[in-house]
Amino acid sequence: MTSCTGSRLQCSPRRAFLGQTAGGILGSMAFHWLQAEQQGRLPQAHHAPRADRVVVLFQNGGPSQMDLFDPKPELNRLHGQPYPGGVKVETLSPAGSGNLLGSPFRFQAAGQSGMVLSELIPHIASIADDITLVRSMTTESVCHEAALRISHSGHALATDRPSFGAWLTYGLGSLNHNLPAFVVLPDPAGLPINGTLNWSAGWLPAQHQGTAFNSGDPAAAPVLNLHTPPRIPENARRKQLELIRRLNAEHLQRFPENSDLEARLKDFETAARMQTAVPAVVDLTGETAATRRLYGIDLPGTAPYGTRCLLARRLLEQGVRFVGVYLRGQPWDTHADNANATKAVAAQLDQPSAALVRDLKQRGLLDSTLVVWMGEFGRTPVSQGANGRDHSRRGFSMWLAGGGVKRGYTHGATDDFGYESIEKVVTMHDLHATMLHCLGLDHQRLSFEHNGRNETLTDADLNHAKVVSELFA
Amino acid sequence: MLPVPLPLTLTLRITVLVTASTLQCLATDLQSPDFNRDIRPLLRNYCVKCHGPLQQQGRLNLSMPTGIARGGAHGAVIVPGKPQESYLWQLVDRDEMPEGTPLSAEQKNLLKQWIAAGAPGLPGPGQVGSTEDQHWAFQKLSRPQVPAVKQQPLVRNALDAHLAVQLEAVGLTFSPEASRELLIRRVALDLTGLPPSPAEISTFIKDPDPQAYEHLVDRYLASPRFGERWGKHWLDAAGYADSNGYFSADTDRPLAYRYRDYVIRSVNADKPFDRFIREQLCGDEMVGFRPGQPVMPPDIDLLEATHFLRNGQDGSDIGVQEPEAFEIDRRAALEAVVQVTATSLLGLSVHCARCHDHKFDPISQREYYQLQAIFFPAFNPQDWINPKDRVIHAYLPGEKEVWEMRESHLRQQLAQLQEEYSVWVAANREPSEVLFEDPFSEGWQSRWSAAAPGDDKPSAAITIDGTQPNSAQVQAGTLQIIAGPGEAWLSTTQAFDWTPNETGDWIQATFDLVDNKVSGGPAERIGYNIAVHDFDDSGSLVGGNILIDGNPATATSIYSDYPGGDQQVIGAIGAQGYVPGRNFGVRVTNIGNGEFRLEHCVDGLSDGATLKLTAADLPDGGFSFFYCVNRSFIVDNVRIERSTASVTTTVDVAAIRRAQQERFAEYEKQRKDLEAQRTPEPGRAIAWVSDKSGKPPVVPFLNRGLYHLREADVPPNALAALSDPGAEYVAPVIAPDAATTGRRTAFADWLLRPHGRPSALMARVHVNRVWRQYFGRGIVETTDNLGIGGAPPSNPELLEELAAGFVADGWSQKMLHRRIVTSAAYRQSSAARPEALTTDGDNRLLWRWPVRRLEAEVIRDSMLAVAGQLDLQTFGPYVPTKQTALGEVIADEQIPGALRRSVYLQQRRSQTLSFMKVFDAPAVATICTTRPSSTVPLQSLALLNSDFVVARAEAFATRLLAETDATPRELVRYAWQIAVGRLPTDTEAAISTDFIETQSAHYSGDDAKRRPIADFCQMLLASNAFLYLE
Repeated sequence: MTSCTGSRLQCSPRRAFLGQTAGGILGSMAFHWLQAEQQGRLPQAHHAPRADRVVVLFQNGGPSQMDLFDPKPELNRLHGQPYPGGVKVETLSPAGSGNLLGSPFRFQAAGQSGMVLSELIPHIASIADDITLVRSMTTESVCHEAALRISHSGHALATDRPSFGAWLTYGLGSLNHNLPAFVVLPDPAGLPINGTLNWSAGWLPAQHQGTAFNSGDPAAAPVLNLHTPPRIPENARRKQLELIRRLNAEHLQRFPENSDLEARLKDFETAARMQTAVPAVVDLTGETAATRRLYGIDLPGTAPYGTRCLLARRLLEQGVRFVGVYLRGQPWDTHADNANATKAVAAQLDQPSAALVRDLKQRGLLDSTLVVWMGEFGRTPVSQGANGRDHSRRGFSMWLAGGGVKRGYTHGATDDFGYESIEKVVTMHDLHATMLHCLGLDHQRLSFEHNGRNETLTDADLNHAKVVSELFA
Repeated sequence: MLPVPLPLTLTLRITVLVTASTLQCLATDLQSPDFNRDIRPLLRNYCVKCHGPLQQQGRLNLSMPTGIARGGAHGAVIVPGKPQESYLWQLVDRDEMPEGTPLSAEQKNLLKQWIAAGAPGLPGPGQVGSTEDQHWAFQKLSRPQVPAVKQQPLVRNALDAHLAVQLEAVGLTFSPEASRELLIRRVALDLTGLPPSPAEISTFIKDPDPQAYEHLVDRYLASPRFGERWGKHWLDAAGYADSNGYFSADTDRPLAYRYRDYVIRSVNADKPFDRFIREQLCGDEMVGFRPGQPVMPPDIDLLEATHFLRNGQDGSDIGVQEPEAFEIDRRAALEAVVQVTATSLLGLSVHCARCHDHKFDPISQREYYQLQAIFFPAFNPQDWINPKDRVIHAYLPGEKEVWEMRESHLRQQLAQLQEEYSVWVAANREPSEVLFEDPFSEGWQSRWSAAAPGDDKPSAAITIDGTQPNSAQVQAGTLQIIAGPGEAWLSTTQAFDWTPNETGDWIQATFDLVDNKVSGGPAERIGYNIAVHDFDDSGSLVGGNILIDGNPATATSIYSDYPGGDQQVIGAIGAQGYVPGRNFGVRVTNIGNGEFRLEHCVDGLSDGATLKLTAADLPDGGFSFFYCVNRSFIVDNVRIERSTASVTTTVDVAAIRRAQQERFAEYEKQRKDLEAQRTPEPGRAIAWVSDKSGKPPVVPFLNRGLYHLREADVPPNALAALSDPGAEYVAPVIAPDAATTGRRTAFADWLLRPHGRPSALMARVHVNRVWRQYFGRGIVETTDNLGIGGAPPSNPELLEELAAGFVADGWSQKMLHRRIVTSAAYRQSSAARPEALTTDGDNRLLWRWPVRRLEAEVIRDSMLAVAGQLDLQTFGPYVPTKQTALGEVIADEQIPGALRRSVYLQQRRSQTLSFMKVFDAPAVATICTTRPSSTVPLQSLALLNSDFVVARAEAFATRLLAETDATPRELVRYAWQIAVGRLPTDTEAAISTDFIETQSAHYSGDDAKRRPIADFCQMLLASNAFLYLE
């Protein structure tokens, strides 16, 4: 599965450096990489992958599980009463631990699988038979910033750790050298909490950093430095590229064996191709009216998120390894008027989210793409103020699709009130291990030495991360 | 099944490094168990706790290949190829080991297969020496003999000889010396980070002196640019940044630059490295400084040096205000100190031992906390100093006394001036009727309430006569507003009509601002309200509740309907800030047509801008002070009065106002004259580190590193594995009134003891990093880990020679650099030699000088230098960087200093300059001594399209046109000399000249002359000839 050019095998040296378990002893990972190249060995994952690309629809703020995914009749029955048994619900704000707050929304069985979902997400319900719903998530913090760091890089406090997408591109390299391997689609109106840290490469080499595409103003460059400065006309630029090619070719004659110099020579051609490829991939004019309707681009409420979900599909289609779609700020953060706020956010995100799965499926891409729909935590079963819900980390829901995960399957459960995960508990670290596993990577072997320590995404010794194999068909 | 594969290609390329063990590893068959990949983790996780560096039960150490091969009290534990005869396998197979946690069938199978395959990865019988008991890097330095080699004529110094031995072992020699034009560019960029000028190049090339190169090196070593270049490497190793990191807010460290300057000055002064380190560990104790004492100028340096200890991330300034969160944030900063110190100085991953004994190195968890105890007195979570408060004002003897005397005299004069003015103002008022007056004497409590008049749902309760947050208290006849976390009011119980009936009539509310703080820091705002009638947060409020939000320094903001969901900013009034000692307030005047003017009053006079309000904005209501976080202040003499001019016809109001204006102008002039005589506090603010006191704190051992699992207290101590008998860390005994505990001085004594093992390790760590910067690869590849888990040295004798020579030369950094850059190894050509390529294609043995890409800072600085735009101003506060709306981090070229060297740009952790980040400049979190050197298309995009490069190219073109006769041929030759340090080859010259001549076809008018040259310049700056050293 390769089309390599010249003497340089343009492939990731996966097997070579993923085999490393103690970087310090084995020396630099970078070396393995060159060796793999020079020996012409094809990259290999640790094991057969189920998917080769990932899209994460990140739900900033923490969606309310008991209003969307996790029906709780007992919670509704005891609405307005104190949490039974004197349980003190862990919250961010002291005002967050009010009485039980039932969900006003109707739940019903969806699809052949009979997955029970809320009326707020009819479109996701319509793909119930294609998804695995996890109702037993936990994480370690009720602060947005820390919980976002855990959900992205596995650590609550460190701000220098690579995020998931960076680990993935470090492990698997790129599928299309005309596009960045790790692309992020933030809301053009603004960044999520933690900003660019969410797609940081941390101490991994800089090329694993997520590249944020600006999907807002069509006149602005979707990628930094993508557009030729206006004062240089296109034909003048072409001559410049010819000049740099000739200069570098001449220079290369001094060191014909130097692959780095040769690589840079080619990079100018790649860069020039990116200047065409990136605008092409973000250009939605070729999408049919039916596709636009599928994603809700024809309606003002769903258009912004629908546009990013459609862009995500186009990027995945072109071989982008990891796409992260983010929300501005944290719309799911429903501290006040939870029911109406959740309803409003769901109305904007439900259809586009489901459309992406449906569209990938109809294009035959769903099997090779892992779709992840998750937030940094969930919300409390008790009220904050009159009718809000505070942050909750002990039990919440998320869903996955494609990439060989089960279809129409519901995993784990929370207690009667949706507060604590009690069955088949899945930690963020487990989720990370599972996502890597899906991509053919062993979370304990995908490692990088940093400041003398052999680091992994899951830090399994510390966090007891394990692959949740029950999620896979 | 995956879909049809797309072209599998790669955008990742990294300059690479090699060791023998990696080669071995790669040669291993993928199917059979690999020692490092499969076996070592198994042993590490299950065995080394009892059979490792700290405990060797049965005299067996399974943490290192040599230890495994040698076996223990039972003799060999592995018989390669024969699992059944291997003692280790027998015990594992019978589930006797690991004790209590038998291995799984899969794990056993791995182990068995590995032994059966001949236990690859273990040293052979002859290779198991006795030195294994003391890790090579933990031994004393011993300067090796200089070996005799065949290629003696090529050898210039001992470093060369040690390299030549390895070369000759495979039949290789050094390459011949590089040409002078290549050499000068190489050494100039390496030593100063800037390209040589054409004049320097031509002088050097023509210099007939056989020592010309050595003289050139000495000139560059003496250049102030040397410290900027190599100081930066130390700053990276020390984890320097201009921000606190930790939280996403990544708050500012405005004084950190003084440490950066200290480092640059120290490197330029060639301060002996051991002294340099001592100053950074305990400069405060060397000076014997106590805050409040004067210091002498050299001592200021030593205080600035201690900033080394606070380079780590520290989020304790802005953490959540809960005890548990505080503890976590502070502990993280304390842990960062230990990590930065141990990694930067000793090259050991001591931080791994925080939660458990170190898995490879002989560092117990207890020792981690003993080491922590050395820094604990300065970073005691129970007695914490926030980063912004770790600041002192250092001044010279006598300086402060003189200043204080003058200050006191000026303050007296100001007070007198103000008193006189106040008396005058009181005597020359417009006619008015006082509606309310409170000098805060007896009975004041009855005049104030938490509720506005008539409000049935009052704000959060204000305690009248309380001292806790959200209280109002009268002290010495003044009212203290003691603010708490919530929003609240202290309102008059009396309501007022805020809409005077007749045009020209007014009502005003004023008070004396006695102080802008009660205790703690100054108030961020002085807030008060008029027309308050309903404390309603719901957002349905209509009119009133005008908040006057007084700013300490600038105009006053006005909000209506505050608080509540429909609150809105109306605008700003006034100009003067709220400084204590003056009278402030607002006046509402009826200006006709149902409109009312809101104006700011300072000392009884109108101040600055005004706003228009309507009657709807001003319902009847109280006057109140506004409570919110960080808004505690002290007031007096609240007075609410209304004009009586419209009913009192005997007074000439206009004349009174004129007199007021004149008197005010006179007062202001006198006040400003006095203020102008005031001077800032002498000395300089220094961000430093010192112990909180000399009293030894209690330092608990934390079970599993968890803050709530405190165990027995530990005393300060250094690492036993490096302590020689008789030279252990000596816990100091300090007088109870001492300023510090002396623990850091004792640590420096232990670390820096001449001929000791700790200083030997430190020397190895440092020279190895310097070597890596020159040759792209450390002698030990893991530059932050020289412990047992690190890589072995590829040329142990070379490393020893460098380290021992460094120490023998009095820890002179410049002599270390001089030895390296005057070696034959450094001076040799970088050209390929076919026979050598076959033998050692990766140039591991240094048979040629390794071609290297310039680092991010060098690329940026060189582009500026080539463009003739580099601003060489040294030292001082950082040049701020900023993030644009599109997420690009730039140094805005509109601000002064934007074209200074990169080391002077803001090093904000979360805001690395985009142009440098793409060339691998790090976002420093802990420390960074090994950067990748990547080659990615985003770099090409930056070279083609970034504003920075395009602007440099244009400036370069302008420079060329100004400095040469612009025939394209001459211009091209000169451009190459400036940018690349050499003349172009005939082909390069032809390509370049041809480009300039034909490129003008794409432009017209003025552009036709300049743009082709700028286009050429840009490509020259983007070319490999420019970006690489050869």
